[in-house]
This record gives sequence, structure tokens and C-alpha cells, in this order.
Amino acid sequence: MSAEGEEKLWETKKYDEVRIYKDEEIWNYTDEELANYKCKHDTPLLDQLEEGPWPSFVSDIKQEALHRHKLPEDKLLIPADVCDDLLGQVELSYVEKETHWKHGGIVGVFGYGGGVIGRYSDQQEKFPGVAHFHTLRVNQPASKFYKTDYLRALCDIWEYRGSGLTNMHGSTGDTVLLGTFTEQLEPVFFDLTHDLGVDLGGSGSNLRTPSCCVGKARCEFACYDTQDICYELTMHYQDELHRPAFPYKFKFKFDGCPNCCVASIARSDMSYIGTWKDDIRIDQEAVRAYVAGELKPNAGAFGGRDWGKFDIQKEVIDLCPAGCMEWDGKELKVNNKECVRCMHCINVMPRALRIGTDTGCSILFGAKAPILEGAQMSMLTIPFIRVEKPYDAIKDIVDKVWDWWMEEGKNRERVGELIQRKGVQEFVTKVLGIPAIPQMAKEPRSNPYVFWSEDEVPGGWQRDINEFRKRHPR
Amino acid sequence: MASLDEIKKVIVDFATNTKKSKFYFKDMEKAVQKVIPDAKSREIKKAATALINEGTLVYFSTGSSTMYGLKGRGISLETEETGKAD
Repeated sequence: MSAEGEEKLWETKKYDEVRIYKDEEIWNYTDEELANYKCKHDTPLLDQLEEGPWPSFVSDIKQEALHRHKLPEDKLLIPADVCDDLLGQVELSYVEKETHWKHGGIVGVFGYGGGVIGRYSDQQEKFPGVAHFHTLRVNQPASKFYKTDYLRALCDIWEYRGSGLTNMHGSTGDTVLLGTFTEQLEPVFFDLTHDLGVDLGGSGSNLRTPSCCVGKARCEFACYDTQDICYELTMHYQDELHRPAFPYKFKFKFDGCPNCCVASIARSDMSYIGTWKDDIRIDQEAVRAYVAGELKPNAGAFGGRDWGKFDIQKEVIDLCPAGCMEWDGKELKVNNKECVRCMHCINVMPRALRIGTDTGCSILFGAKAPILEGAQMSMLTIPFIRVEKPYDAIKDIVDKVWDWWMEEGKNRERVGELIQRKGVQEFVTKVLGIPAIPQMAKEPRSNPYVFWSEDEVPGGWQRDINEFRKRHPR
Repeated sequence: MASLDEIKKVIVDFATNTKKSKFYFKDMEKAVQKVIPDAKSREIKKAATALINEGTLVYFSTGSSTMYGLKGRGISLETEETGKAD
């Protein structure tokens, strides 16, 4: 895979060149056979999950179990009943209310410290099909644009060398291949890289697989090319992605606008959120068309119910969190200096309002899930930066933050926790070398002490105790 | 500046003699910098990667964080797969 105009690093083969299964082997069971399928183990508790209104993972696993049983033995390199044994083990855990997985281990592919998560059953005699059930993370294409050729080939490889079960996608963004044996790891890796031109993703104390929103590929709100920077930083930081040396995980996520479709603000240590410096562009004609009911608000997204006539005052002006909009019945005015980029007005009236033209991104740091200190969102640190190839200014920031975190971070401490422990002041002024702004403060200052930095104090922290004693005898 | 071989030697000594069979990168970094104070963390990472590629060190990953260990010390692939101790 490679970006347009750049060196092509791998060949991606067509499905017909690499396919393993014939059509009749792929479509190898009937609805009736599926309805009558009896799992190798009794699973009364799991069966109940199929009775609810939502699609159940149990039904999916049973479907795959039947499919595998009907495939020829020489076309499966791990046990045919891996799915039955998986259901059996999960049922046992539901009964006993404790897990039978042993998580983690030394398994992986040569030279890589991430991408494979070892998992074993502690009930290997009872469930031999899941004695090993390792997970592979596969780096997803930017914005998860797939070709059917790729997906078919991926499914064939995983049916042949793994359980056939996948997660599309894990929360980091990777394609997750669930369940295989140790001896299949290297061959799967070989097939993925040589036939499909994809790499493993990140896991462990690595840079995790960067992910991005759909960006300029399909979205008019995108303030920068999320796909391009996602690809570039993935390639630039290959060492950090595959060879773990960080104190803990580190995630980049790229959102093209403040709608935050990949939720970078909540899920990534370093969130890139598209924004603009100039004014929201207003087409007053179109605003009047919305008000007159000629255009559907939210592009018709909430058109399933009758909400009454569109009321611009109630539905837009009064909902602006900054109170910076005004409608006089003819003209819409926006006090752009007060705009906080909530995106609400633009989402409601996309034909009338558009993002500005002077675009870039804001960089925020420190989001994480609640392992220590509770979950937290990223903090706005760099209000605006241009997002332009080759992204050197952004790479400089990344390198500074990593140097500091690798030096000061404790084992298993996320960068957000380090910022909390050492203080925003140190992070912003010393690490990044940028001026602090009021928006970085969570609350008014309550600590009465003044924190001086060494260069602000005459003589720094060093003093001559003898000189001091001359002036201040004991 | 310390050579790659010097750093590798200190890492192997640490991995052999430390009480724990698995350790974080940071612990290894501190151990190296105790002996070679000017060793930079990127150099230590390069040395550790070389030792991984030679098969002297192994990664141990829980999925969320990663540790290093001396191959054959403590957990091995066989004990991991069967759950039976050496």
C-alpha cells in the first residue's frame, strides 16, 4: 500500500491470485442446516443471548462453526471445531463467573513487539480447539476504505490459518483477527504482508495503530487531509509502532473537524482536531431557504418524525454555546471571535454555513480510559497548527512529547497522567515551549503558592550556603 | 558515547541477574544508565532491538503493556503453551 505518487512498497494481489476457497466452499450451508445446527457443547446460557432483539455474537459464531464443519479438512490448518470450543468455554465462564483465558505471553512475529496478543485456554483438555487463541491486530487502511478483493482474501487467509472470526474493528481501529495457534502466526504475517500489502498494528507499550475519520475523501467539513497525515505518521513512526519502548500505550487519532467522528478527544493521547482561523462562511440566501422550509435541516437526518416547522431561533441561535449568533429575520450574523467550534449550526444548515478557508488543526493531549485517576478527555494545548506536508512541525511536537514522557513517565503511566502529575505548566512551557492560555486551565487557581521556574529566580536553585550564613547566622 | 556492544552487554548482565524474569524498558534503561550514564534512551532501544533480533531477549506482551526478558529465563514458549512449569 502506498499513497499516490509515492514509492509502492508492496504489491497487493487480486483475490483470484490468492484465493483459497471455491465459491461452493464459501457458500456451503443452507438456512435450514443453520437453524438445526447443534453445537458440540451444550450452551443454554449463550442460547438465551440469541433471543433478544439485537443480533448476537453467539449466532455469528454458530454460523461460522457450521461453515467450518462443512469445509474439507485439508483446507483448515487449525481445528475445525475452534468455534464450538470457544462457545463451550464462554458458556463455562458464564456458569462459573470467572474467565478461563490466560492473557498475554511471549508469542509474536519475528522482530515485532506488538500486533499479536497471546491468549491461551486454561481448560485445554476440555476445549482443545481454543488451546491457543491468539489475537492479531492488522493495520486498517486509512478511514477503513476497503476493496472487496482485499476483504475476500483476508477472510480466506483467516479461515485457512485461523478461526475465521474477526472484529471489524477493534476500538483502536485495527482489523482484529481472533484466535489462532502459535505456529500459524508467522505464516499469517507472511500472507498479510506479501499478498495483501498490509502490516500488523500496534499493541503493548507501542504507538498504537493511528486512525482517522473519513476526511476529505467524503466529507466537506474536513479541515485537513486526515488520511494523508495518518498514513505519513504511521510510516514515519514504524519503529515506535512495532518495537515497544514507551512507558505505556500511545494513540494518535485524526479528526478532520470538531464533529470528532473518530472521537479523538476522548480516546487518544494526542488528538488532532481540524479547525479554522477565519470566519464561518455564510450563504444568506440558503439561510433564508432553511427558514422558509425549502431546505431540510440536518440534511434531513432527523426527518423520520414531524418536529414542526424549522425554528432557527430555537434550534440554532439559542443553542449556540457561545451565544455568538444573531438572526433578525433576514440576515444571520456570527461573532466569529466567540465561536467555540461546536459545529452545531454548520451541522444543522450545511448548505448555508461552511467552515472557514484558513484551515489547520488543534492538538490536544492526554485522553485515556479510567485505569488510574478516572477517564479524562484531551486538553487543548495547541490551538492552531498548519497541517501541511511533510508535517515536520507536527513531528517536532510528537518528538518533544515522547522524549519527555520516556524520560519522566513511570511504568504504565499514560502521557495524560504524567501531565497531571507534573503539571500543565511544565508540559506547556518547558516541554512544548509555548505560552499558556486561559483555556488550558480547568478551574480558577486555588493553590496560593507561586511556582517559579529556575530561570525566573536570580541565581537559580543553587546557593552558596556559606554566603547565606554570613548574612543569616544560626 | 558508549558503543552498541557495550550497551548490549550491560543489558544482558541486567537481564541475567535481575530478580525478576520480566522487566519494563524503563527498568532496563535505568540499569544501563547506572553503568553508562551518557547512554541515551534511543541507543538503549536500538541495543535492545538488536538483542531481540539475535534471539537473546524476548518481548512479553500483556496486550496493553510490554516487557522484556532473557530468552529461556522464567517463562518459555513451552511453559506458556502448556501451562506447566519447567
